[in-house]
Amino acid sequence: MTNSLQALLQKLPEPNSDTGDWLERLRSDALKIISSRDYPSTKEESWKYTSLHDLRKNDYLIADERNTGALLKKPYSRDDFLEADKLHLVFINGFFQPNLSTDELLENGIKIRPTKTKKADEKCNLETILKADLSETFSALNILTLCDSLLIEVEKNRKIEKVIKLILIGESSEPLLKSLRIIVKMNENSHARVVEEYRSHDKDAGLTNVVTNLRLGQNSTLFHHRLQMESMNTTHIGKIDAQVDSGASLYSDSIVMGSKLSRVDIDVSLSGRAAYCRLNGLFTGINDQHIDHHTTIRHLVGETHSDELYRGILDDNSRGIFNGKVVVSADAQKISARQASNNLLLSKLAEIDTKPELEIYADDVKCAHGATVGQLDETALFYLRSRGLNYKDARALLIYAFAEKVIESIPLPALRQLLENKFLGHNQMSEFIQQG
Amino acid sequence: MLEISDLHVDVDGKEILSGINLTVKPGETHAIMGPNGSGKSTLSHVIAGREGYTVSQGEIVFNGKSLVDLEPEERAGEGVFLAFQYPIEIAGVNNVYMLKAALNGIRNYRGEKELTSVEFLKLVKSKVKAVGLDESLLNRQVNSGFSGGEKKRNEIFQLSVLEPMLAVLDETDSGLDIDALKAVSDGVNKLRDASRSFVVITHYQRLLDYIVPDYVHVLAKGKIIKTGDKELARTLESKGYDWLTDGQESAA
Repeated sequence: MTNSLQALLQKLPEPNSDTGDWLERLRSDALKIISSRDYPSTKEESWKYTSLHDLRKNDYLIADERNTGALLKKPYSRDDFLEADKLHLVFINGFFQPNLSTDELLENGIKIRPTKTKKADEKCNLETILKADLSETFSALNILTLCDSLLIEVEKNRKIEKVIKLILIGESSEPLLKSLRIIVKMNENSHARVVEEYRSHDKDAGLTNVVTNLRLGQNSTLFHHRLQMESMNTTHIGKIDAQVDSGASLYSDSIVMGSKLSRVDIDVSLSGRAAYCRLNGLFTGINDQHIDHHTTIRHLVGETHSDELYRGILDDNSRGIFNGKVVVSADAQKISARQASNNLLLSKLAEIDTKPELEIYADDVKCAHGATVGQLDETALFYLRSRGLNYKDARALLIYAFAEKVIESIPLPALRQLLENKFLGHNQMSEFIQQG
Repeated sequence: MLEISDLHVDVDGKEILSGINLTVKPGETHAIMGPNGSGKSTLSHVIAGREGYTVSQGEIVFNGKSLVDLEPEERAGEGVFLAFQYPIEIAGVNNVYMLKAALNGIRNYRGEKELTSVEFLKLVKSKVKAVGLDESLLNRQVNSGFSGGEKKRNEIFQLSVLEPMLAVLDETDSGLDIDALKAVSDGVNKLRDASRSFVVITHYQRLLDYIVPDYVHVLAKGKIIKTGDKELARTLESKGYDWLTDGQESAA
């Protein structure tokens, strides 16, 4: 019997490997890899807690340019997305919308690559980047079903002052598979800040499959904030694959509030001396949401450093998974790796599975990890209520207090404020903090 | 203002208060003293409405209204305030934000208009000096990293902003050095007026040198066994509680 992945693949046109186009070649390789596979099952260790049962049941339509905007409630205008000090790029159902996006693309080193482009892009060596993770089912599927891909290349010594904000919207009445590829290449000593914001129409029940490749050249700095707020009917599969060269720093946040099922894999290689990454995460689950983060930090050489903080807040019968792996290669001496996973369970039925995984092959290292699972502090709740806050506000404030540790580390005020709003409604705390 | 009659309170099925009678009139300050485990803190928590304290018998009436079935925030709205023995640290929540949410919660309860941030900050600035609170504490996280003295001052600062009609101070003197004790007492004394009442719960007479009470009650084994004026506190300081509790036992 044909499994659901194969049923999906049958909807694809046959890749043409004779054209000489490297992307077509890559497609044909990808197809070979997954043509005998099914979606990952819970028998695989890294999918142990995350069943793709619902995903298998869905008969997805592969997004193409014809079904973009099938369920637009109202036409968008560029003004809907404009924000001061930001370069914004809007994608709807997987495809770039130039008329809704900023004009200042090329001058800031931003290229959109429609999938059908035949021209080889030698300078950035996209092929090598795209090839790297082809063995993984969802990455191979991503290549095979790719909508648009986006390349942000920041030239040497350049600092992009404006925040680059990608707004990726799902808006289809059909269960649509949208595959996107985002590549950020930071050349030596460059600096940029990128936000990936996923949203969708309430009724959207699609599958988003995004791979983000981050390449940080020597002494570059990248802030990368991933914000997932898709509707509660969607499935979201995300992957960040990052390589950080010597002296470079990656600051990454993964914030997940949306989707019925969300899986984000983050894999960071610290490949040069004094490379640094900070991975932070914040996720909130309600109803029967299922939110899974698998992170891997690879200290490939000595004197590399990493910090990781994930906080999960789970209500109703939602479930969270955090698997944080740290691998220290042999000879990667004098590294430091700190990891913390803190979780707040708001109901008896909510569940968290948190697991640190350390693989250390060097001997002169500093590794620390800790995981906590707790509930709302009843005494603190009483304290706030005795001051006059009603139960709902007191509870919201304590939940926010728990999330704040991750939120406060985000250097973008607009994003902090958005999150604060999500937790506290319209009473903003930041107005006081700014006064101080 | 506050009328507690024949109050019996259970905690985890065990009776802690066994028939308390206490009447506090507007403008009065009552001290409640007693040995450890006598039920002092239970009394303060049951007035403020903490969960887990079951009133099995009796009444707590505040301005003619029974408090027993009200939620803690409703009691705050009615004008009750409890200064905690151990103020809670809430990292991640700005002190002023919390207080604004509290004041507006109370105003909502009373059907009054919420204060805007500008109005609120003006109010706060005027109050902060009165309590001798370092203004920088305002923008810190609630009690987080505060010294013992700062925490207690913060309680009194909250009291000064929320302006309750009845304030219950639960061992506000514990953990304070003499300077902090004076500062906290000064803050309290400035808030005393003809309409506001205080119930001051303390283990030691020392606090009552600074916050001079109109009445002193001795609580032992869940009952008020003696009531007197401030001189009673001095007697307790020199003689301890034994002469009272022993007497009670032999009389029983």
